Amino acid sequence: MRSVNGNVARTASLGYARGTMERTQLLEMFKAKASEVAERDFDGLTETSVIADMGVDSLAMLEVVGEMERELEVQIPDDNLVGIETVAQLLDVVEKRIQAS
Amino acid sequence: MSDEFHVKLYRKFQTFFQEAEKKRRWNPVEDIPWNELNPDAPESLALCAETFLGVESYLPDYIRGGLEAVRASSVAQRWFTANWGYEELKHSMALTEYLVRSGKRTEEQMFDFQAQLMEEEWERPFETGRQMTVYGMFQEMATFVIYLRHEKLALEHSDKALATVYRLNARDECAHARFYEDVTRVYLEEDREGTIADLAFVAKRFRMPGVGLVPDYDQRIEVMRDEGKMDRDIFLKKVYFPLLKRLDVGRRELVAAAAAERRAARETEAAE
Repeated sequence: MRSVNGNVARTASLGYARGTMERTQLLEMFKAKASEVAERDFDGLTETSVIADMGVDSLAMLEVVGEMERELEVQIPDDNLVGIETVAQLLDVVEKRIQAS
Repeated sequence: MSDEFHVKLYRKFQTFFQEAEKKRRWNPVEDIPWNELNPDAPESLALCAETFLGVESYLPDYIRGGLEAVRASSVAQRWFTANWGYEELKHSMALTEYLVRSGKRTEEQMFDFQAQLMEEEWERPFETGRQMTVYGMFQEMATFVIYLRHEKLALEHSDKALATVYRLNARDECAHARFYEDVTRVYLEEDREGTIADLAFVAKRFRMPGVGLVPDYDQRIEVMRDEGKMDRDIFLKKVYFPLLKRLDVGRRELVAAAAAERRAARETEAAE
């Protein structure tokens, strides 16, 4: 299982420690944020899920990403959010930003 | 709104109108090189043109909805909407001329298509003038980008007439988007917090007009995506991110506004 290195920042709502965050925790955070924004469950979502199939509009998806950025205290450049098709690709981008911060 | 708001918008409208009169007036019958259309171009090209026509054809609903939204807001927005309707009308005329002159459709088919379209009605998606301005900004810029892509496609099929239709339509759409952008900027100056809340609100619920209205919309959009290659990424790259950048609005501000809206909705629900 991959783990993310970087600053340790205790986040409030989900209680994740950014520095020791496992990939599965990132996925759980994504699911939680998507549920919060779209107001429905995404329990069956996996890394191979295609974002366009989630039934969440692309602009609402930016809100999900924004919530993750806020919680993880990272900033993802707009360009990095173009060309993403799967949940795994999105998590890769988030992971890289955590590592870079 | 302040007196300054009305003055600023009026100046924006004056500039917009003057530019339109000097540089953008065109005639859908006389200014298209109809002798350069390609009657052998594939049906998919005609289907795309017909789909654009379908979306443009809800013009009466767009004008009514737009005017209702801005009626109490400012004279500039009312007058802009009236002028916008005139310019948009030409887009429908030019597309109809193309479909009939190319032999892809008959005039009778066009009348039937129009009658079929009017069986459905477009409802304005947002309540206030400010929200409709933001919606107009996103929608017109997206339409501009789509028309440009179809201009290129028409040229690839050696149809200079259709390419000209798309180019002229695109030029109008771009000018409209810029006006809406200018108005949004003035709204931001007047009330940044409220305008950002509306930007977040509209962005989250944004859909192009015509969805679910134009007959066989889903199949038509599939053809348009295949032909014109408009997708989520292009929307983000060419429309959404550049607009936010020009308005100097950060994604974080929008996320915070959206979160505040969700909180308020939950509180209202709990209170009920």
